[in-house]
Amino acid sequence: MSKPKFAMYWASACGGCEIAVLNIDEKILDLDANFEVAFWPAAMDVKYKEVEAMDDESILVTLFNGSIRTDENEHMAHLLRRKSKLLVAFGSCANEGCIPGLANLSPREGIFECAYTSPSTENPDHLRPRSAWQAPEGTLTLTPLQSVVRTLDQVVEVDYHVPGCPPESHQIAAVLDVLIAVVKGEAELPPKGAVLGAGDSTVCDECTRKRDIKRISKLSRIQELPMLNTEDCLLEQGLMCSGPATRSGCNSRCPNVGAPCIGCYGAAPGVLDQGARLMTAIASVVDEKEPAAIDKVLDGLPDPAGTFYRFSLAHSLLRANRAALAEKP
Amino acid sequence: MQRITIDPLTRLEGHGKIEIFLDDAGDVANAYLQVPELRGFERFCVGRPVEEMPVLTNRICGVCPEAHHMAAAKAADAVYGVTPPPAAKKLRELLYSAFFFADHTTHFFILGGPDFIMGPDTPVAERNILGVIRKVGLEIGGKVIQARKYGHTTVEIIGGRKVHPCTAVPGGMTKAISEDERKEIEKMGRWAVEFGQFALQVFHDMVLGNPEYLALILGDAYTHKTYYMGLVDANNKVNFYDGKVRIVGPDGTLHGMYAPNDYTDWIAERVEPWSYLKFPYLKKVGWKGFADGAESGVYMATPLSRLNVSDGMATRWPRPNMRSSSPPWASRPIAAWPSTGRA
Ligand code: SF4
Ligand code: SF4
Repeated sequence: MSKPKFAMYWASACGGCEIAVLNIDEKILDLDANFEVAFWPAAMDVKYKEVEAMDDESILVTLFNGSIRTDENEHMAHLLRRKSKLLVAFGSCANEGCIPGLANLSPREGIFECAYTSPSTENPDHLRPRSAWQAPEGTLTLTPLQSVVRTLDQVVEVDYHVPGCPPESHQIAAVLDVLIAVVKGEAELPPKGAVLGAGDSTVCDECTRKRDIKRISKLSRIQELPMLNTEDCLLEQGLMCSGPATRSGCNSRCPNVGAPCIGCYGAAPGVLDQGARLMTAIASVVDEKEPAAIDKVLDGLPDPAGTFYRFSLAHSLLRANRAALAEKP
Repeated sequence: MQRITIDPLTRLEGHGKIEIFLDDAGDVANAYLQVPELRGFERFCVGRPVEEMPVLTNRICGVCPEAHHMAAAKAADAVYGVTPPPAAKKLRELLYSAFFFADHTTHFFILGGPDFIMGPDTPVAERNILGVIRKVGLEIGGKVIQARKYGHTTVEIIGGRKVHPCTAVPGGMTKAISEDERKEIEKMGRWAVEFGQFALQVFHDMVLGNPEYLALILGDAYTHKTYYMGLVDANNKVNFYDGKVRIVGPDGTLHGMYAPNDYTDWIAERVEPWSYLKFPYLKKVGWKGFADGAESGVYMATPLSRLNVSDGMATRWPRPNMRSSSPPWASRPIAAWPSTGRA
């Protein structure tokens, strides 16, 4: 009997999701034993044309990472939706837009302006990449950049979500085990829309640091703080941490090593907007009553948009800067 | 004119498409490597706190986040004019070396290597890491898996995560290592040195030992004589973390040496209308189009160029016995498997 087909694709992404999959180490052999890898640009040489030629729904499962930033990304989302029985939004870019989703804070032209007239760029003719350009030998086409970053589920229907930037490898291994059990007929598919490879509480719930005072009178940047101790909650020591609004699943990796959670597992269960939840969480621990005094505490946060929506802007209620949203896609 | 399109590029990090144009005789008239993506880090990093840069710029590339993490942390040190304490510097160097080991293993066996290990004519379904493991067997395949695991585990111990580490901050690191962790890293490091020698042997046997490959990689199509760039220490030995950027010409003569914060005096970037990626070149030579040679500002910043600009590696192990004459190795494509990574 032929093995079911597996695919992995990166849209607008960094490649970290692929490395995280390779980091399941010897478990990669289980993937090979139970699936035929039909398409995976990071690891094998199948081309777009060959994917177009596949039968609809002929791929059992596609792990789709990366956000939708270009027409090509959108085309691939539709194509792989059609070719796959199960489409998984894999990693933060596909689920929340991730850090590159912060590009939604400026219209497209702002991005071009910055990239193509930077101090290191010599561009006297004010050249910009163009969707079609007449080379002496023929026309070269380049996929257009869309006005805003979108997440996979803002473009096509998604069956499952695996969060994380990137998803932790032990979680990926667990998801793979589930898929293999389903293929072998030993388990049922999880309910559609389920979040796989993550916990169902917050990073704070998993965090081993002590939270006692639950009150803060000052927020500081890490370089302004004296040595942080290794036992107490970072937030209570005055450092902004996204743990209260972020989904569990990573074993509170960053606070474990003295760095704040920056929120890469996305919104905690039941939370619509990670940034709004984080703001509420911070507001509720600020130990001040007077607006002026509260403002003073918040002065310790030089970049509210980037801090609260670091990973989730593209999937938030606001989604993007108004000028960017108003532009034609 | 006939056209061959390769879309997408595979087995490397990042997106790419190649358009090759053939003339009437069927020879290549021109070829274009287009990069169809732009995420706008240049824009959205503006206005964010400097201490965020090590974790924001990580996401430029998840195959080499350690490089962006370190570069950003060093830039942040410079903003505050601080030098990390010696222990923090050593941790950063160790993290970076472990990354280098893991990354080159990934490239050598998973991304670039399958072309050589499996052969360019192998069917697509086999020309990849899974095919490599099927071919070389589980014992050797297991070693490759182990090497990546040790590299990434070391990165995780020091950097907090296997991908997108989070511990480098302005002026130092957020975490020290315990004596137990140090011992574990040492054990993995010693194993890694042996694995490195094994990998060199694989390269020697499978690539240099194959007359067809040898003809290919020493041939004209595979050779670019350009300027070369790499980081060197005070003794002109290769350094991965700190030092000066040294540039030599195609014949090995010194073009210049600069401290990283002076880079805009030495490097400029060019925009072409057919790719989102910009094209860096040596400012003092100037942009002369897509040409190699001493007249053109095109340069290489790769494993090969590191060897060409330096007087050798700083480690006590002798260099592999592949070098036959004195420096530079210029245009000797000894380590010139197509390199991953992006600007
Ligand atoms: S706020 Fe951060 S450090 Fe504090 S308990 Fe939550 S995750 Fe841990
Ligand atoms: S602690 Fe936060 S930022 Fe770090 S891995 Fe976990 S969810 Fe991601």
